[in-house]
Order: sequence, then structure tokens, then C-alpha cells
Amino acid sequence: MPELATLLPLAAPALPLDEAGKYVAGAYVVFMVLLVVYVGIMAAKLGRIERELRDVAAIAEEKKDAQAAPGRGSEAPLASRGSGGGGTDV
Amino acid sequence: MYGKGLKPLSIATVAMLAVSLSLVFFYAPLDADQGFIQKIFYVHVPLAIVALIGFIVGGVFAIAHLRTNNRKWDAYSYVSIHISVIFGVAVLITGAIWAKASWGHWWVWDEPTLVSFLIVFLLYATYYPFRYAIEDRDRQARYASVFAVTAGAFVPLNFMAVRMAQSLVHPRTFATAEGGMPGEMMLTFLCMLVAIGLLWTTLVKFELTAKSASGQVKRLRRALDAPVGGSSSRIAPEVS
Amino acid sequence: MTPSRAAFAAILAKDLRSELRTLQSLPAMALFSVTTFVIFRFGLDRTSLSGSLAAGVLWATLLFAAVLGINRLFVAEREEGGFDAIRLAPIDRSVLFGAKVAALVIYLAALELVAVPIFAIFFLDGAAGLGPLVAVLLLADLGLAATGTLISSMAVNSRARDLLVPLVLLPLVVPLMIAATGATEPLLALGGPSYHRFGTWLMVLGLYDLIFGLVGYAVFDFLLED
Repeated sequence: MPELATLLPLAAPALPLDEAGKYVAGAYVVFMVLLVVYVGIMAAKLGRIERELRDVAAIAEEKKDAQAAPGRGSEAPLASRGSGGGGTDV
Repeated sequence: MYGKGLKPLSIATVAMLAVSLSLVFFYAPLDADQGFIQKIFYVHVPLAIVALIGFIVGGVFAIAHLRTNNRKWDAYSYVSIHISVIFGVAVLITGAIWAKASWGHWWVWDEPTLVSFLIVFLLYATYYPFRYAIEDRDRQARYASVFAVTAGAFVPLNFMAVRMAQSLVHPRTFATAEGGMPGEMMLTFLCMLVAIGLLWTTLVKFELTAKSASGQVKRLRRALDAPVGGSSSRIAPEVS
Repeated sequence: MTPSRAAFAAILAKDLRSELRTLQSLPAMALFSVTTFVIFRFGLDRTSLSGSLAAGVLWATLLFAAVLGINRLFVAEREEGGFDAIRLAPIDRSVLFGAKVAALVIYLAALELVAVPIFAIFFLDGAAGLGPLVAVLLLADLGLAATGTLISSMAVNSRARDLLVPLVLLPLVVPLMIAATGATEPLLALGGPSYHRFGTWLMVLGLYDLIFGLVGYAVFDFLLED
């Protein structure tokens, strides 16, 4: 049995459970951390998209009001909705 | 519509990860040689396999881009490579932790798979500065696809060459862990592999959905004649 | 002669003539190699090399010297509209790839004709291993030329082009270096050349040449679209 004991450290680099546990935990923690960091970055992107959508919605509403106000007593073409949104300079 | 199917996909991913991690710690038996340290393999190896497949998938998307000239394939290729690079970071760090636990050094040149992976990672890390250096977006997309195809062809060649460079017949613990694997270990490993594969797919879809959403906002802005402000990346392809 | 073959010969001849006339790359590459040998002599604090150390110094130096030449490979095309000429010509555009690879192989061979004997004089005990080394050099040159031409053609149209070539090329040629040094190391061994795994390494080199030659040939067309 003593021969086995001397052979074991060469063939099997098995650390005692409490030490090995730290390394294994470390590996899984790294995995989790990277995942969460990625989620965080995507969350920031989502926040930016939300902000931009808010801006665009405000712009769209402005345009809608601008159309409604002068368009009350003017020509027909302005009333049509299908004007592709962009070409409203009269 | 990139967001479609994202919810069931992520639910499947979470479920699979939960099941697999439970298997790793409550079901898989302890390895006779390495002891508890062997558990690192259940996260390290699937990440590596999925990352490498991801690189090759990026190359396949690149071929589609070159043949059809449809920009969406370039976006798919970019995101595939991007997520695989992130997985690659995880592979290298978990690999280093395993090396430290097994041999006392944070890096060992004796593990051909780890060394091959490092070289592949270094190559794909140049993908970003490469794209950045080409200003014209059309050309950038085309050249990036050429890069992805070349790099994809490189991956198997590299693994073969590095393996051959190992003159020492080192007791390759990876081989012993895989080769004589008892059934419970193999099942656990396969479950983790599926889980990580699902994770990769979810993240790619997630990223594409976010890009698409940004693209839709830009489209709205343009339709409203509003200033297309905001920072648009020099390299990440747009999706709309 | 088919138009493609004529174009190939024309481009190759033009490149070689231009290089002979202006001598832009070759002397620089040769000089760089010799100076690098001197740096290695002092950096490693050795006056004689053998085995893996000799193989490493030789191949690292050749590789970095090659990068110098590769950087300049497409400069003339970019500056003088050579790309447009190829686009307009009614031939297979991959001819440009083939011609450039051939030119680069010739440059590398010329470089090695100067650098390797000087390396032997500086560091080696005898010239016994140099004969079979020629086979290794030729096969490695082909692979280096194929990959180098591919990367160079993309880098030439970008900013920071001098940076891009070494950055992207180096990881790609690692398998090539592994095979080249693997074959060279026993050739330059202390007790005289041995051929341990020589055939295997040559096959790996050949495989590398084949794969990257084919990939380069296949994708080159897409690189020339404007």
C-alpha cells in the first residue's frame, strides 16, 4: 500500500476535496459571471433602444400634430395617409 | 422577425442548464483519477466544442453571404463569431483554472487541445480590428466573410498540426476522461453539451433581435425624416 | 496560350521585372534576416545553434522577413489601378491570385538563397542538413505565399494595412510553422541530420498548401468586386 501512496500523486493530481472545490467553483463562477456580464451589456443596449423609441415616438406625434393643424383648410393630398410619411413639406 | 421563438428557446435553455448542472453535481460519479477537479470538464469542454462549432457556423454563414450578397448572412456570421469568441474567453479561463488545479500552473503547453484553441481564439480575436480597418461597409462585409471562411478552414488544420507537435506521450487526462467514461458521466456530459449549445443559439438569437430592433428604430427615423442620430457601430453589421 | 495563362504570365513577369528594377522588397528582406540573426545571437547569448533552437531561429526570422514582403505585395496594384485592369479583363480573376502567389514564392526562394547559407555560416556546424531542408523550404514557401497573398489583398484596401498583415497572418501560419520546424529540427540536430517524422511533416505542409491554395483561389473573386 505505501507504494500506491507514492504512485498516486504522480498519476492522479487529485487535490483534497475542499481545495478542489474552490477550483471547480471558480470555473463555474467564471462561466456565470461572463453570462451575467453579457446580459448586462444587452440590458444597456435595450435601454438605449427604449430611449430612442421614445424620441422617435415624440417626433412622430409632433409630425402628426403639424399635419393636423395646417391641414384643416388646405388641399386634399395632405389628408391622404398613404403619403409615405416623409414627403410632407408643402 | 428575430424575436419570434426566442422565449421558448430561452426557457428550453434554462431548463436544460438546470437539469445538466444538477446532473454534474448530484448524479455524475467522482472521477477515480482527478477527483472533484474533473467536474470542471463538464463546463469547459462543452463550451469549447460549441465555440468551435460556432466558428465553423460563422464560416458557413459567410459562404452564404458571399454567394447571395444578402447582408443578413453577414450579420449572422458576425454574431456567430462574436458569441463564439465570448465562449472562447470562458474556455480559456476555465481551462487555465483546470490546469492550475491539475498541474499547479495556470497554463500548460502539454495539452494540445487547449493550445490549439488558444491559437484559434487569437485568430478570431483579430476579426474585430480587421473589420474596423475596412471603412467601406460593403467591402468590409465581403472581406469579413472571406476571413470567416478562411478561418473556418483553418480550425481543423490547426488542431491536427498542434496535436502532431506533441512529442511527449503525456497522459492526456482529457482522453482518459472521455475515453473510458462510464455511462453516467457520458450522459451528464451530453446534457451539458446540449445545454451549452442551446445557450449559444439563444444568445445569437438574442443579439440578432437586439440588432434588428435598433435597425427598426433607424428605419422609423428615416421614414419620419428625423435625424439618424445615436452611435452606430463601425463594425457590427446592421440588421433590418 | 489561353487568355488566363497569358494573363498569369504577364502579371508574373511584370511583378518580377518591377522588383528587379526597383529592388524594393528583396534587399530589405535579406538585410532584415541577417540583422535578425545577429539579434538572436545576442538575445540568446549563443554562437552556435542546433536542433529545435536552430529551427526556431531560422523559421521565426524567415517568417518575419516574409511579412515585410507580403505587406508590399499589392501596393503597385492599388496605386496604379491594377485591380481595375483585372476586373475589366475577360479572364478568371483568380489568375491574379495565382500570379501573386507565384511571385511571392519566387521572392521567398530568393530570400532563402541568401538567408539560409548565412544562417549556416553564423550558427551551424555543418551544411549536412541543408539539402533536405530545401524540400521543407519550398513547401513552406507555397503555404506562406498562399495565405500571405490572401491576407495582403484584403489588407491593402484598408487603413492600418501594415498592422493588419502581421496581426491576421501570424495565427494563420502557426500550423505551417509547427510543421516546418518539426521537419527542420531533426535535420539540424547536433549529431547530424535525422529524418524523424520528416515525411509526415512534409505531408502536413502539403496539406496546408492545398487547403489554403484552394481557399484563396475560391474566394479571390469576391475580393475584387468593387
